[in-house]
Amino acid sequence: MARKTIREASHLVHSTVSSRQLETSASQLDGIPRDLEDSVRYQTTRMMLIAGIFLRLPQELIAQSVVVLQRFWTGADGGSMLDCDAEDVAAATVYLVAKPSRHSISPRQLLTVFAFVRSLRGEYGASASTNPKTLPDWHLSEGSYEQQRDCLYANEAKVLRTLGFNIHVALPYALSINYLQALDVFRTADGALLAKRTFAQLNTALLSPQLLYLTHQPCALATASIYLAAREIGVNLPEIEWWEVFDVGREELGFLVVALRSMDGFVQSEQSKLRGRDVPMTVQALRAEISQ
Amino acid sequence: MDKRHPSSFQQLEKLGEGTYATVFKGRNGQTGAFVALKEIHLDSEEGTPSTAIREISLMKELKHENIVSLYDVIHTENKLMLVFEYMDKDLKKYMDSYHNPNGGPRGALDAPTIKSFMWQLMKGVAFCHDNRVLHRDLKPQNLLINNQGQLKLADFGLARAFGIPVNTFSNEVVTLWYRAPDVLLGSRTYNTSIDIWSAGCIMAEMFTGRPLFPGTTNEDQLLKIFRLMGTPSERSWPGISQFPEYKTTWPVYATQELRNLLPSVDAAGLGLLGQMLQMRPEMRCSAQQALQHPWFAEFQQREAARAGQQAAFR
Repeated sequence: MARKTIREASHLVHSTVSSRQLETSASQLDGIPRDLEDSVRYQTTRMMLIAGIFLRLPQELIAQSVVVLQRFWTGADGGSMLDCDAEDVAAATVYLVAKPSRHSISPRQLLTVFAFVRSLRGEYGASASTNPKTLPDWHLSEGSYEQQRDCLYANEAKVLRTLGFNIHVALPYALSINYLQALDVFRTADGALLAKRTFAQLNTALLSPQLLYLTHQPCALATASIYLAAREIGVNLPEIEWWEVFDVGREELGFLVVALRSMDGFVQSEQSKLRGRDVPMTVQALRAEISQ
Repeated sequence: MDKRHPSSFQQLEKLGEGTYATVFKGRNGQTGAFVALKEIHLDSEEGTPSTAIREISLMKELKHENIVSLYDVIHTENKLMLVFEYMDKDLKKYMDSYHNPNGGPRGALDAPTIKSFMWQLMKGVAFCHDNRVLHRDLKPQNLLINNQGQLKLADFGLARAFGIPVNTFSNEVVTLWYRAPDVLLGSRTYNTSIDIWSAGCIMAEMFTGRPLFPGTTNEDQLLKIFRLMGTPSERSWPGISQFPEYKTTWPVYATQELRNLLPSVDAAGLGLLGQMLQMRPEMRCSAQQALQHPWFAEFQQREAARAGQQAAFR
């Protein structure tokens, strides 16, 4: 049998990055420290997640945007945070991923929501409370709308050009439901809860500084999330090495479980960095930050 | 691949113009080979057109001998150009300029050519469907033919990777004449079977030289289909009254025999066509099933022989 090649768009696999591509990034080469880059990635991802909810986009489209943005910042020939404003590129990525789908959004919808989300300055818990008086003042003037729209199109083209239009992403959400069905959990009382916690793990994994969606295929992410979610709520899965059935080895599963477990600590440290100050998400703010 | 300068291709005559792109014949400055240059109109209303994003991201993944190859994407500040393999003409032009050695109606192709084109068309469609891509706009203008008699699917601007479940797709797709009845009835849960209907219409058109159902409006298109296939009812199509475009005022037509309309098609060919042109989408054959049909026996044998030879070399 000849070498097995994957050359078609698939919902099960997609292109992952090599360890060499993960070694550095255009931003780091431009002088941004790794931990600052991680913080910018983390905060822009949170922005995209919350904006996606306001835009009523399906989670799969939001997740695809996050992965496409991660690809954009990765590698020496990727985009640099000192070359384009991170928060604007995040918005452009949501826009371009939604566009060819059946949930396309207008530039005005997108820019309005991002203007609002930006005004929350990372305090997204407050926006969930329904009292509008607690919300900050924000507005998007007609002039700045037109200016931002041009910038949106320029960033969109930049992302597409940098990635060579490789925006296909295979996601683990639907797959994890198939796996849970195969594991026969939906006949138990905890099935629905287990599915919910599995999705929560998958969503958390989008925020990982280890860029798990770039380094692992959907089958591995789905399996690790199910494994952890089952541990978390005390559901018994088969005693045997069931993950082997889903093409995931013990070593890969172990790596992902550790990575997912470390997310609590990572998020706490990022949140404490945020306290009382803004994470720089523009070229100007980042230049000011690193020159200090 | 996208950092190449536009000037590395010499632009020759214009081949066609669409709403979303202009296509030129071009020549590779280094190799001298012909290419098709599809220049995308960049307008200020939506940035990079969704049709271009769809087409490029799908074409980069779909590599098959019956799908036109995307060689390169040239993307500069103000220009987006796709470089495709060059094909001599599309099936529409091919039929228009064809002179059947055995006579027959103008535009009609000879039987061996039709069978070869249909085999290649279904190969390309099957590959798309196996990779979860719906073409959604199959028509003679989107099937390209070269001087070696190869047929390739082109123009994936409307194609979309389908997920599971497939629903609420826009019902404004597929050129009217090749549009499946379920789409015309307002179905938004269509699937791979819409491409099979289009392929069936194209097969009939190659035999007669005329479009099978040249409707002018959505309603007229449905009535043209009913006049041949018979007006559907709850009895022949359970659930049809639930479609948005269902009307109780449709004239009742009886089903006609395909063979009366297509006297030059042999029995096996009519059998395959009958399986593709089923009113109910779930009754239509799949592209893989079409390829297994006895009408294609000689192609299946040739393919099996080739597979056997390759196995012997391993």
